[in-house]
Amino acid sequence: MSWEFGVTVAVTVFTAVIGLPIGHAMLASSVFYLLMQGQDMSIAFEQMLTGLYGSYVLLAIPLFIFAADLMNVGSLSDRLLDFCRALVGRFRGGMGHVNVVSSLIFSGMSGSAIADAVGMGRIIINLMTKDGRYPGSYAGAITAASAIIGPIIPPSIPMVLYALVSDTSIGFLFLGGVGPGLVLGVMIMAMNAWQARIHDYPVEDPVPVRDLPRVTLRAVPALLMPVILLVGIYGGVTTPTEAAALAALYAFLVSTLLYRSVSLRMAYETVRQSAKSTAAVGFLIAGALAFNYVVTIEQVPSVIRDALGDTELNRVTFLLIVNAILLGLGCLLEANAILLVIVPIFLPTAVSLGIDPVHFGVIVVVNTMIGLATPPYGLLLFVVTSITKSPIRETIRHLLPFLAIMIAGLAMITFVPEIVLWLPRLYGYNG
Amino acid sequence: MTTASPFVRRLRAIADAVPAILLAAMFVCFIIQVFMRYVIDSPVGWTVEVCVIAWLWILLWGQSVSAEETDEIRFDIVYGSVRPEVRRWFRVVFSLLLVGIYLWSLPALWDYVTFMKIQETSYLDIPFSWVYSAALVFSAVSILRYLWIFWNAARNRDSGLGTADDIGRKDFSE
Amino acid sequence: QDMPTLRLSSVVSDNDIRAEAFAKIAESVTDTFDMQVFNGATLVAQGSEMTAIQRGNLEMGLIAPQTIAEQIPEWSIVTSAYLFDDADHLQATFDSDVGGELISLAEEAGVHVLAPVYFGTRHVNLAPEAEVMTPEDLDGITMRMPGGDAWQFLGEAIGANPTPLAYAEVYTALQTGAIDGQDNPLPNDYNMKFYEVTSQIVLTGHLVGFDVLAIGAELWDSFTPEQQETLQTAVDEAIAESTQRHLDREAELVQFFKDEGLEVYEPDRDAFREFAQQKYLESEFAESWPEGMVDRINALTE
Ligand code: NA
Ligand code: NA
Repeated sequence: MSWEFGVTVAVTVFTAVIGLPIGHAMLASSVFYLLMQGQDMSIAFEQMLTGLYGSYVLLAIPLFIFAADLMNVGSLSDRLLDFCRALVGRFRGGMGHVNVVSSLIFSGMSGSAIADAVGMGRIIINLMTKDGRYPGSYAGAITAASAIIGPIIPPSIPMVLYALVSDTSIGFLFLGGVGPGLVLGVMIMAMNAWQARIHDYPVEDPVPVRDLPRVTLRAVPALLMPVILLVGIYGGVTTPTEAAALAALYAFLVSTLLYRSVSLRMAYETVRQSAKSTAAVGFLIAGALAFNYVVTIEQVPSVIRDALGDTELNRVTFLLIVNAILLGLGCLLEANAILLVIVPIFLPTAVSLGIDPVHFGVIVVVNTMIGLATPPYGLLLFVVTSITKSPIRETIRHLLPFLAIMIAGLAMITFVPEIVLWLPRLYGYNG
Repeated sequence: MTTASPFVRRLRAIADAVPAILLAAMFVCFIIQVFMRYVIDSPVGWTVEVCVIAWLWILLWGQSVSAEETDEIRFDIVYGSVRPEVRRWFRVVFSLLLVGIYLWSLPALWDYVTFMKIQETSYLDIPFSWVYSAALVFSAVSILRYLWIFWNAARNRDSGLGTADDIGRKDFSE
Repeated sequence: QDMPTLRLSSVVSDNDIRAEAFAKIAESVTDTFDMQVFNGATLVAQGSEMTAIQRGNLEMGLIAPQTIAEQIPEWSIVTSAYLFDDADHLQATFDSDVGGELISLAEEAGVHVLAPVYFGTRHVNLAPEAEVMTPEDLDGITMRMPGGDAWQFLGEAIGANPTPLAYAEVYTALQTGAIDGQDNPLPNDYNMKFYEVTSQIVLTGHLVGFDVLAIGAELWDSFTPEQQETLQTAVDEAIAESTQRHLDREAELVQFFKDEGLEVYEPDRDAFREFAQQKYLESEFAESWPEGMVDRINALTE
């Protein structure tokens, strides 16, 4: 690593801390790096442009944003909110639980945590913050935490990438993610219950039982949304990326034809707002693409390899070190780059220490996903704050307990392999 | 919030319409894509190309031409908690740095984007110089926007109060 | 310490046979060049290796012929179905005058070809069980092909309904039935675990898959003859070994897939070849092919 790299990291952190928007901070400091190196400064822009042009899977993001915004203006969200309140409003932190459970359901759709957060997350955040029941920063924090589960429960793009570099079965990896996904979900809900007590989030008056059928009926179209999506994907109609468009279409049809609650004017206003949010979120990814080049050209991965090369490790310290490094790299590198470049560095050692590759894969994926939400650079963190429009410092404050419990969960998954392996073994995996 | 003249408001509306139309186009393309494959059983490929081009332009146009400071995602731990006077100085520094870097790299960016005319997109045969010209728009407009931010901060007019405080209020009142 | 730096960007993953070949090249030129290999498309995005070399921002790249064809239409001939019989035919073509013509076209565009890098022959891999003997049997089969009109046309040329899809999404799409099949060389079917969610591999052999290992032409010309020879020898050795390993691997995988319970069989290749070549000759792609080149390449099989 060169001194220019150090300066670049310093410039990124400095400009971001004094308030330059993060996307600009990453892009500009990458350009600055090239300037110091005497390289062609357009490379940073080229990386950004070619990276975005090739990022087909990310196209789900704008469409999920659009679908969520349509649900909000089209009163689908309101009806869903009434239903959820009737169901869980009497419990403290009830909406937080709804957030986690819906993430668990929706993670069956999307293979990407960011898409999860902007899709279902956006809808639930709006439900949680309406009438000021929960601060936006808390809603954002629990959304970020539960979005981490998305790619741990199948389908999962990070797991496909891991399978590619590790020669493990995608089928068994997918099965291996189910247990940890559920465990993490339960842990987040426990933390939510505790936080709701500490912060004394309001409880609702219980809805009389005789009102339940009416409230449920009103919410049926909204409740059908996940059903339609899951049928769309598992019925082979759409790919997970395309499912986002199907969601938007459904929300659009229900609000215009069934409820007649959306005028042309409102539809345009919704598209306009969704496009704005898309730009804000997408530009973070754009900045990260430029910055990624700097990290790659500085050969950070091989520096790590060399540092690890001559240390004698046992299984426990190895796993601890891997977890620490991956969490640290989560601050600098995009998740896919970590999987494709870093994993092959660790894998041979893991296998030689007798660590099961499916188990190791799930650890790595959980890790990179947690990295998406860890400050300072956490894409999920920025995405949820752009939805909630609450200060990052508040969101981080609320996120810390959740991160603590996620890391505890990661430790559990790391040291109790059975959580990962019981389901694959049930289906014939002999590892 | 300052009140804008009708002319400025119209410009603003046009600036906003571009990403909105692109997003709508993206939505329609995805629906066509699913429809053609699943219902008609005759898949098409050009829709993907329209979508990635739209995505690129939504981002770069949306973060420059139609960007508002409140929409931009920033790390506000320090920025949001310092005195207005200090924040004003922060704004002077970061806007100057950004303008400097983008301005310095503008010729190189121009060179790259124009060079890319040697390659065309696969289905629509649009030269990449046109697809990627979004970056030129982005860079040029960002330079102007941040010059404006610099100018106002330097003349003691704006300490970014409208951004950080708005955001802060929203968290507890919504 | 004024050895030239050679940064190579490729899309292959770090544990790929080709990645080992690149590492070997870097190793054998270590006295002459500081060669750094970046796999997994981490340095340069997939498909932009060529422009990066042309702009002098990258020294070496593993470039898909489809990418070259986007700038040099004549190159689209080597991306067409049933042109090459096998890896030997591919190598023979690049060693011949025909190859020389293609190589000098690339040279004019600023890219010096070091070697074609074989990575396996593409076969059709399907989830449905119906037997496929002729292109007509693929009628109505939704098959994932890589994005871009050249790739999609390849799918049409073997009688299928091609649809583009991101590589990472293919497994799930096969599982859910969003697509019926995909086409890839056997090692890719293995690496991406497609055999877990499909029932058969039809050994169509419709395309001999290869990329081009290339270096900036200007940079190459600036080397001394000794430097050129050092690099070329290292490339030739490593790539020959890589090709052999791919061939061995393919042979081995046929048995592996059979053991996994897949049907693996050869269809009526002549029917496929005839159908495909007809499609290509009627297409816009053939317009850019140099007169008589198909025949000259065909003649090289003997
Ligand atoms: Na998932
Ligand atoms: Na992070």
